[in-house]
Amino acid sequence: MASLAAPGNGSIDPDVIVKFEKVNKYFGALHVLQDIDLEVRKNEVVVIIGPSGSGKSTLLRSINHLETINSGHIYVYGRMIGYYEKKGQLHEESEKNIARQRAEIGMVFQRFNLFQHQTALENIIEAPLNVRRMPRKQAEAEGEKLLARVGLSDKRDQYPRQLSGGQQQRVAIARALAMKPGLMLFDEPTSALDPEMIGEVLDVMKELAKEMTMLVVSHEMGFARAAADRILFIDEGRIIEDTTPDELFTNPREERTKAFLSKILH
Amino acid sequence: MYHFDWQVFWQYLWPGTALANPLIRTGLMVTIVVSVISQFMGVVLGLFAALGKMSKFGPLRWLADAYIWYFRGTPLLVQMALLFFGLGVTHIYDFPDLHFLGLSVSGAIQAGMLALGINEGAYMAEIVRAGIEAIDPGQMEAAKSLGMSYGMAMRRIVLPQAAKVIIPPLGNEFNNMMKTTSIMQVISAAELFYAYTQINARIFKPFELFIAASFYYLAMTTVWSFIQARIEAGLGERKGEAVKTPGMFERAFAKGGH
Repeated sequence: MASLAAPGNGSIDPDVIVKFEKVNKYFGALHVLQDIDLEVRKNEVVVIIGPSGSGKSTLLRSINHLETINSGHIYVYGRMIGYYEKKGQLHEESEKNIARQRAEIGMVFQRFNLFQHQTALENIIEAPLNVRRMPRKQAEAEGEKLLARVGLSDKRDQYPRQLSGGQQQRVAIARALAMKPGLMLFDEPTSALDPEMIGEVLDVMKELAKEMTMLVVSHEMGFARAAADRILFIDEGRIIEDTTPDELFTNPREERTKAFLSKILH
Repeated sequence: MYHFDWQVFWQYLWPGTALANPLIRTGLMVTIVVSVISQFMGVVLGLFAALGKMSKFGPLRWLADAYIWYFRGTPLLVQMALLFFGLGVTHIYDFPDLHFLGLSVSGAIQAGMLALGINEGAYMAEIVRAGIEAIDPGQMEAAKSLGMSYGMAMRRIVLPQAAKVIIPPLGNEFNNMMKTTSIMQVISAAELFYAYTQINARIFKPFELFIAASFYYLAMTTVWSFIQARIEAGLGERKGEAVKTPGMFERAFAKGGH
C-alpha cells in the first residue's frame, strides 16, 4: 500500500525535513538499501551506525542524490529529491534542478574534499559566489564569520595541504554552512582523522547540533551520547534499530546490535 | 671526399645573413605562428574530445572515440594531404589564399595548420583526460554537493587542478609541434623547412643547408625548454607545493614524443 501513497506526501508536515518511503537500491545483485522508511524532523540529530558495507553511507548519499535509487521516494523539505514522477514512473530530474536541490543540503565528507587549489576562505566563498551569485564583499564577510565560528580565523589564506586533517574538516564544515543549508549530512567526518584531531571536529559538530538538522554517519559514540536525538543501526541495507542513544546502549533490542556494539565499544 | 661548403653553411646558419633571406625570415615566422595556433587548436579540441570521451551520453562518447581513433591511427602526412588535396578536389573548400591585416595566408598554410591542430587534438584528448582523471573524484562530489552543475564544477574546480597535471606534457607536445610543422613542406606551405628546400633547389647544397635548418629547429626547441622550465617552476611555487617534473636538461636530452 505504501507505494500507492500520494507523491508529495512529505510536504504535509513542514517539520519533516527528510522522509524516505520504501527506498530500495541495488549495486548489481547487492541489495544495499532494502525498503527504507525514515523520517527526520526539524532540528533532530540522527546518528547512523552499522558495519562497513551495511548501506549507511549509501543511505546518507542518496539524500542529496550523490547516489541514485532504484525505487521508492526520498523527500527533502517536502520535495522529492533527484526524481520527478510521471505516470507512476520515476524519472531523474534535470541536472539544473538537482544542483538547485543540493545547494540547500550541506555535506561533509570523510576525506574533507576541500578544493586543493583554493585557500580556506576561497573554499568557503566558492559556492556562495558562483552558485548563489552573492557579492564578493558579502561572501567574504560571511566566510570570515564562519571561519571564526570553527576557530580558524588565522588560517584564512592557507591552502588545504598546509592544514591538519582536523583543520581541513572544520573548513569543510564552514564551507557547507556557507550555503545556509537547512540540513547537514556528515559522512564519517572523523574516520580519516588522527585520534588527537577528532575532538576538535566533534566539538564544532556538537555546537552545530544545537540548532541544525543533522544526519551523521559515525561510530563516535561519545558524540552520539552527547548530541544525538536518535540513533539508527543499519545492517545489510535495513534499519535494524531506530531509538535513542541511551536506549541503544543500555537496552539494544536485537542480537545483531549487541554484537556490533560490543565490537565498537571496546 | 665531399667538399663541405663552409661559406654556404655559415651564410644560411648565421641569423644576420640567413634572416636577410625573405624565404627563411617568413618561414621561421610561419613555423612559430603555426605551432602556436595549431597547438592552441589542439588544446581546445583535446579538451572537448576528453569531455566527450567521459560523457554519459553515448553518441558523444562514440564521436570522441572515433575522432581519437582515426587521428592517432593514421599518419599526419596522409591527413594533411587528404585535407589539402582531397578537400580541394571536391570543391568543398578550395583553400584560397586569405588576406587580412595586411597578411596573406596561403591555402597550404591554412590546410597545414588545420591538419596539425586536428591531429594534435587527438593526442591532447588523452593528456587532458589523464589530467582530469588524476584529480580525486571527491573534488567533483564536493562541488556538486554545494549545488554546482557538472560544467561549473569542471570549469571552476576540476580543470584548474588538472591544468597542473596537463601543463608538463603539453609543453612536450608543443616541442613536438614545432618540429612537426616541417611536414607542411610536402604541401608547399612556406614554413622554415620549405624555405631551405627552396634554396636547395636553386644551389643544391643539401648537406650544408639542412644542417643549418636543423639548428634553427634546435634553437626553437631549446628556447622553449627554458620557457617551459620557468612555467613549471612557477606552477609549483605559486601554491607552495612541489610539482615533480623532469628538469630542463633531462627534457632537452630526453627521448620520447610520438
